[in-house]
Amino acid sequence: MNRNNFLVHLALAIVLILVAAFFGQLNRWRKQWSMHIVTMEEKKRPQTSEEIAIADRAAGRPEVLVKFKSGLSHDAIEALTARLNDRVEDLIENAPGWAAIDDLDDASPAATVAQYRAMPGVEYAEENYEINIPDQVTDATDISRVRTGVMLRPKDPMFSDQWALANSGQRGGKEGADISATIAWAKTTGSEDVVVAVLDTGVDYQHEDLQANIWTRPDGMDPYQDDELGSVDDTYGFNAIENESDPMDDNGHGTHCAGIIGAVGENDLGIAGVNWKVHIMPLKFMNAGGSGTTKDAIEAINYAIERKKAGVNVRIISASWGSTQRSQALEDVIRKAYENDILFVAAAGNSSVDNDRQPHFPSSYNVPNVVSVAALDRNDQLASFSNWGAKSVAIAAPGVDILSTWLGNSYEEKSGTSMATPVVAGVAALVLAEHPHMSVEDLRRQLLSSSDPIVALKGKTQTGGRINAAKAVE
Amino acid sequence: MTKDDAVDKARKDLAQRLKLDGSKISESSVDDADFPDMALGAAEEDEMSGQMMTRGWRIRLSADGQGYEYRADKNQVRLYGYKGKNYRL
Repeated sequence: MNRNNFLVHLALAIVLILVAAFFGQLNRWRKQWSMHIVTMEEKKRPQTSEEIAIADRAAGRPEVLVKFKSGLSHDAIEALTARLNDRVEDLIENAPGWAAIDDLDDASPAATVAQYRAMPGVEYAEENYEINIPDQVTDATDISRVRTGVMLRPKDPMFSDQWALANSGQRGGKEGADISATIAWAKTTGSEDVVVAVLDTGVDYQHEDLQANIWTRPDGMDPYQDDELGSVDDTYGFNAIENESDPMDDNGHGTHCAGIIGAVGENDLGIAGVNWKVHIMPLKFMNAGGSGTTKDAIEAINYAIERKKAGVNVRIISASWGSTQRSQALEDVIRKAYENDILFVAAAGNSSVDNDRQPHFPSSYNVPNVVSVAALDRNDQLASFSNWGAKSVAIAAPGVDILSTWLGNSYEEKSGTSMATPVVAGVAALVLAEHPHMSVEDLRRQLLSSSDPIVALKGKTQTGGRINAAKAVE
Repeated sequence: MTKDDAVDKARKDLAQRLKLDGSKISESSVDDADFPDMALGAAEEDEMSGQMMTRGWRIRLSADGQGYEYRADKNQVRLYGYKGKNYRL
């Protein structure tokens, strides 16, 4: 090879190296740009209702579902919607009168729903909630990623009033001051294998939004045998007042608590419970006036323990009641529940006092399975009525203006640590749906350690936090 | 039970306890009130109650210069803090 050829080959080699380096850099730029786009898309994920509305339009998704009064023709419906500058996306088959409406303005779904609800020809209107089935939440600890990316909202028509589960700032509340239920539901919506005993005024087990989630004595299991009463037909649970089988609610309080834990979700009716599916065991020990005796409470707890021993998976007792009187017998039976792996979630009380100084029972018993619950309002403030206790109250949960099931297929808003208690009991059931073999100690620890710190609770409860269902089910 | 029913029941109870003629009992005030629980903040001994805020009426009666407080809602009437105790009527 002469000198000239050598120089030519050298020049070609340099050019080739430069070209390769250039394409390599191009590839890196392409990758970086792709990542940038993904990040931008992540940032652009709709958060507010206005952003959701815009995203819905971009996706061609109708914002609201409207049920028009019977007798209105298709043309009449179209004329009505055109008046609001909207478009009928679809008349829903098998649901006479229902139409999916595409809003052509910039109004939020909530505002559009309000417009339709105000129209005389409309029977009902609701948001067309998006159900995001998660791809797979593999990075379980990255809640912030989950928060932006994955959630599941039910179609239950009153869900938008359930601020405890999803607080969008409705009725002057603080956006995000909720238990992150929609994020938890992306992972689990509950399990019928988990039985939660609602120890209360009974439960309206015929309520249409509860019926499917009511525990019934399994086929093949013998009726309950009581030492004094003999055989008791406990088909739907137990009534300790009458010492008979029927735990039907004659007050409403127990039905309200049951709905918070497990009103059937995604059934196009009323509300969604913290668990969409679960088994609620009705235990009645309080009368129509909403009060009961220690003896009857003990009998009902004993029933739950005996059923656990007989093979029923009772893992949680929800106790939205109490008094300032200590009872060693009651403490002993709660300890017996602990020995049988049953969590006991109890209301901290509504007297605006410090339970460290003025204990409230059963929530103040120092037994390892007791979780004492304070109440928060929709702005993450301790409810004005709620008891607290840096040592004796474990955690807080929403407990003001809580919408839930009531007697006679109705729904009511109620306030109290009574309402905060089943929120925590419900989250415990969600955790067990995901981790069925978790011990009662681990379950209690999991609930407490996954709470969100709240400024207003600092020094007021053991955790200083609000329960967070999404973190708890991880 | 209406508010009037509750006031009537409270007056009769007080007359009976004090062994007085009903005409000797006067109404000081009857006000709407929110009570801390379903026993209207007036639980008897060994009584557990639902911890739900309960709307009702605070009925203040007087007789022989003494004041007495009754608490009521649609389900019940209670005498609050009578000689240190609460009573469900």
